[in-house]
Amino acid sequence: MSSYVKSLIFALTTAVVCSFLLTAASAGLKGFQMENIDVDKKKNILMAVGLVNSGETYRKADILDIYGENIQSFRVSPEGEMLGLEQASATETSLPIYLYVKGSKIASYIIPINTTGLWGKIFGYLALKRDGSTITGFTVYKHSETPGLGGEIEKRWFQKNFEGKKILDKTGEFASISIAKGILPETFPQDKLPNFVDGISGATLTGKYLTTGLKNVLQAYEPVSIKFRTQQPIQIREK
Amino acid sequence: MKLTKTDHYKAFSVPLLQENPISIQMLGICSALAVTVQMKTAIVMGLSLTFVLSFSNLTISLMRNVIPRNIRMIVELSVIASLVIVADEILRAFLYDISKQLSVFVGLIITNCIVMGRAETYALGHTPGLSFMDGLGNGAGYSSVLISVAFIRELLGSGKLLGYQVIPTMAYDLGYENMGFMLLAPAAFIIIGLLVWLQNWLTHDR
Repeated sequence: MSSYVKSLIFALTTAVVCSFLLTAASAGLKGFQMENIDVDKKKNILMAVGLVNSGETYRKADILDIYGENIQSFRVSPEGEMLGLEQASATETSLPIYLYVKGSKIASYIIPINTTGLWGKIFGYLALKRDGSTITGFTVYKHSETPGLGGEIEKRWFQKNFEGKKILDKTGEFASISIAKGILPETFPQDKLPNFVDGISGATLTGKYLTTGLKNVLQAYEPVSIKFRTQQPIQIREK
Repeated sequence: MKLTKTDHYKAFSVPLLQENPISIQMLGICSALAVTVQMKTAIVMGLSLTFVLSFSNLTISLMRNVIPRNIRMIVELSVIASLVIVADEILRAFLYDISKQLSVFVGLIITNCIVMGRAETYALGHTPGLSFMDGLGNGAGYSSVLISVAFIRELLGSGKLLGYQVIPTMAYDLGYENMGFMLLAPAAFIIIGLLVWLQNWLTHDR
């Protein structure tokens, strides 16, 4: 057998053995990973409404407990009508939404963020108060931005900037929330301040993409936000 | 024969100090800068690299007589890459939070010069047992430097060790402040430099 053929056979065998190994590892551990991802998402929802702190470590069971007690998930129609989870499967256009229920009142609502960044998708949550304008928190749980630059969007210092900001301008019009280029200068117009957050230096493009993405997402949820602003009753499930 | 005189022991202990991959051979510095802000990530990174290194050395040494010379690097790389992916999958299944913090750096073990270097220079020419010990030794040498750097950076940079506050709040009330510089990558460079100097100074004949 020529050495050429031998190399080829050896390469093929290596490839097959490696791929079997990887498939086994991936398939075998999938269950654990899915569970972790689910808990991580729930933790991010809780972080967005301030029920857990990002710096502390929580046990899985604790996260699930706090989530179960406070958060309800719903689907809404594009017109802002609350649908139950059951009808949701029927309509493809319905949007997911999470409600933070305190006592029997809705304290805030949480919008899932699913948008494009510079290098890939950015996934996270944005929580708004029941006034339909004030942001209580913003989190990112998955992204492919450059670590140290755009990747800073997953860091607490960046996300903290969103707290207390508004998606309405001072005349009450929808203005979304924009990420500035670098730190906001002192000379920045005072009346626009509630609609802007400090950006990340060295990650202008990530900021730009996120600004557009947040605007699109918030625009889609605007009918829901209007309902909250005009204080129309929203049904919540009995516990 | 004493344990310390055996070849296996030597294969393990030489890379720990005399031929430490980071402080003597200056390999794998990139990850040493990135993951040493906290001890927790440094320990997990060290363990992951030790796992990949020892098993890649073992596998490659087992195959060393059958690997065709012309494609040996490709074969080495596929063994290393597979092990790295397995390590990454395990971390994501059982240490999800830490694996998120380590982000790309576990995947980058593939390109870590130590792993490829040991496969080429050691595993191809030694028995599986010795190669495995060499992998463990190099992994331990790498981890020990990483953990020392992380110890200094976490203690001075955030006043914590393994996530627990060790500098009392009283010290902060008296005006003590954390060194923000320790949290930045250049700090790791300086600490590694100082460690290299310390090791040279201790081991060099004067």
